[in-house]
Amino acid sequence: MNVKKPYSFYAHKKILYSISIGFMVIGIIGILLRGGVALDIQFTGGALLKYTYQGEVNADDVAGAASEILGRQTTAQLTNDYVTHENRIVLTLAGEYGMSSEEQTNFLNKLNAKFPDAKFVSAESSLVQPFYGHRFLQRSLLAVVLAIILILIYEWFSFRKIGGLLAGLSAIIALFHDLLIAFFTCVIAGVPIGDSFVAVALTIVGYSINDTIVVFDRIRENRRVYPKESLENIADLSVSQTMTRSINTNIAVAISVLMIYVLATRASLDSVISFALPMVISSVLSIYSTIALCAPLWVDMKKHQDNRRNRRGNKPEPNKKAEPAKA
Amino acid sequence: MKVNRGTFFIVLGVTLVLAWVAFFGVHIPMGDNFGINIPGANEMRFGIDIRGGVDAIYQPVGLNRVPTADELEAARAVIETRLDQKNILDRDVTVDRTNGDIIVRFPWKSDEKTFDAQKAISELGQTAKLTFRDPNGNVVVDGSHVTKSIVAQDTEKGGYEVALTFDAAGKKLFADATAKLVGKPISIYMDETLITSPTVETAIPNGQARITGTGTLQQTSDLAQKIAAGALPFSMEARNYSTISPSLGAGALNVMVWAGALAFLMICLLLILYYKMSGVVACISLVIQVCGVLLALSIPQITVTLPGIAGIILSIGMGVDANIIISERISEEIKIGRKTQAAVATGFKNAFSSVFDGNITVMIAAIILMILGSGAMLSFAYSMLTGIILNFLAGVTASHLMMRSLILFPKLSGEKLYTCRTRRVAL
Repeated sequence: MNVKKPYSFYAHKKILYSISIGFMVIGIIGILLRGGVALDIQFTGGALLKYTYQGEVNADDVAGAASEILGRQTTAQLTNDYVTHENRIVLTLAGEYGMSSEEQTNFLNKLNAKFPDAKFVSAESSLVQPFYGHRFLQRSLLAVVLAIILILIYEWFSFRKIGGLLAGLSAIIALFHDLLIAFFTCVIAGVPIGDSFVAVALTIVGYSINDTIVVFDRIRENRRVYPKESLENIADLSVSQTMTRSINTNIAVAISVLMIYVLATRASLDSVISFALPMVISSVLSIYSTIALCAPLWVDMKKHQDNRRNRRGNKPEPNKKAEPAKA
Repeated sequence: MKVNRGTFFIVLGVTLVLAWVAFFGVHIPMGDNFGINIPGANEMRFGIDIRGGVDAIYQPVGLNRVPTADELEAARAVIETRLDQKNILDRDVTVDRTNGDIIVRFPWKSDEKTFDAQKAISELGQTAKLTFRDPNGNVVVDGSHVTKSIVAQDTEKGGYEVALTFDAAGKKLFADATAKLVGKPISIYMDETLITSPTVETAIPNGQARITGTGTLQQTSDLAQKIAAGALPFSMEARNYSTISPSLGAGALNVMVWAGALAFLMICLLLILYYKMSGVVACISLVIQVCGVLLALSIPQITVTLPGIAGIILSIGMGVDANIIISERISEEIKIGRKTQAAVATGFKNAFSSVFDGNITVMIAAIILMILGSGAMLSFAYSMLTGIILNFLAGVTASHLMMRSLILFPKLSGEKLYTCRTRRVAL
C-alpha cells in the first residue's frame, strides 16, 4: 500500500529554528521602523472622537481648529464608510486622559460654529481615563499569564509519560512564537494594541496549545507502539502523521477570520479589523510552529534531560537512548 | 448505545429542528402567563458595539474619598430614575464599590436616530434635585435637608417603611408643612419625576418622618435610596465613556453575519471535498454546534458583542478540528487495512484523547476569561465555553452516532468513502 516515510524534521532543526528566529528579527526590525509599539487608548487612556460630516472638509484645518478649542494637540484623519456611505473624520487627541461629556458637547458646538457647512455629528467616541486603562491592561495580562500557567500544569499532568513538563514547555514556546507573530503583525500594520489584541491573545492561547497537543498526543501513542524507537524518529513520525490535520484545521480557521477581515475592511470597522488581521497571519503561521518547532524542541530538551540523568548515574529509562538522527 | 440505520435520520431530524428553533425561535402561547417562548436569532440581545449605544463609567466629582456603599446606591438610584424617565429600560447599571464608580451601559432603541448621547451622559450624572411639594406644587422642603433615609420595619402594620431624618432647618420646615397638610398628600419629586406621594397622617414636629405602605423590601429600599440621593454630597461625571452610533453598529452586525455564513459554506465545502462521507457528517455536527451556541446565547438573553461573535466563529474552528482529527484517524485506520466498521470504531477511540486534551486546555483559557474578564470579554468567553461543551456533544457524540449508523447502509459503507488523500506515514 501507499506508505510514506516520515519527513526528517529533526535533522533539519537548525534551518527550522533559524526561520523562526528570522520571523522574530523581522518583527523587531518592524517595531524599530515603526518607532515603538503603539498601545491603544484602552490601555493608556486618551480620547478618540469620530464625527460624520457633510460636503468637503480639510483634515488639517479641522485638526488645527480642534487643537485651538481644546488646548490639546489633535490629529485628524478622513475616512469613508462603505456600508453607510458616510464621511467621517477621526480626531485623536494627544494626552493620556479622557474628557467629560459636557466638554465634548461644548467642543462639538464650537467646532460646528467654525465649520457651519460640515455639520459634524458625533458617530463614535471613546474616552478613557488612564486609571481604567491601566487596570484593564493589568487584568488582561493577568488573564493571559494565568491561563498559560494552568494549561502548563494540565499538560504536565496529562503528558507525564513523555516528560510532561518538557512537552508543556515546548508547547508554550510554540505559543509565544504564535503570540509574537500576532503582536508583530499588529505593530507592523499599525494596529494599536488594545482590547481586541487581548481577545486575539486568548484565542491564540487556546488554539496554539490545542494544535501542539495533538502532536504530543501522537508522540505519547507512538512511544507505546514503538518502545524501542529513538526520540527523534518518534517525533518526526508523529509530526508527519498529524501534519495534514494541522494544515486543514488552521486553513479552516484562516478562512473564517479572512472572511471577517475582508468584510470588516470594506465596512471600515476598526475594532473588528484589529481582531481579524493578526488572527489571519497567526493562524497560518501557527501551522509552522506546530509542525516545525514544538517536536524538535521537545526532542532537544528531553535529550538534555536524559543526558543529565545519565551523568548523575541514574538509570535511563529503556527507550530513551539517543541515537544519531537519520538524515 | 444501540445504533441502527434510523439513527442517522433521527440525528438529522433533531439537527433540522434545532436549526429551525435557533433561527426562527418558538412562540407558543398557552394561557395567559404560560407558554413556550424561545427567542430566535434575530431576537438576540446584541451589545453596544453591535447595536450602537453608550458605555460610561461615572465617578463622583469633588470628593476626596471613595464614596460609601450607601452613597453609591443612592447615586445608582438617581441614574436609574433618570434612565426610566428617558424610557431607556434595556440597560445595565453596575456599582463598583472597590473603585467607587458606577458603570452604565445601554443600547439604542431600535428606532433611535437622533439621540444626543453626550447630552444624555451629562444629564444622568447631575446632582439630583429632590423636593417635597404640597398639593399645589409648592416646594415645602428640599432633599438637601434629609440627613438619613433608611428602610425600617413597620412595627404597627407589619411590612416595611422608609424612615427619614431631617437636619435642624429641615425639621422646622417639615414640621410647618405637615402641620398645614394633615390629611393631604406631600409629593416627593426627583427632578420633575414623582417618586412617591404619601398622605400626612399627623403633624411631625421632631424631624423624624415615616413613610409606610411602601410595598416589598425591594420597593421600599429603592424608595429610600432615591430620597437619600437628594442629600448626596456629590454629582457624578463620566470622563471614561464610549458612544457608538446605530448605523455603525448595524454595519458591524452585517459583516459578522455574512462572514459567518460564507466561512461556514467554504469550510463545509473543504470538509466534504477532502473527507467525503466523514466530511458530510462533520458538516451536520457543525450545524448542531452553531445552533447550540446561538440558543445558548438567545435563551438566557446573554448580550452578544463583537468579540462574542468572534468566540462563536472560533469555537466552530475547534469543532472543525475535532471532526478533522476524527476523519483523518478513520482514513488512517482504513489505510492500515481495516474494514470501515472497525476503522470507525478505532478511529473515534484514538482521536478522542487528542480532542479531549485540546478542548480542556481551551476551556481553561475560557474559564479564566470568565473570571477576570469584563464586558465584551465575558461575551467572548461565554460563547467560547458553550462552543466547547457543544463540541463534545456534537463534534464527538453526534458525529459518532451518525457515522455508526451510516456504515450500516451497504452502499454507504465502502472504504473509499471514508478515506482521504492524506498518505499513511509509517516508520
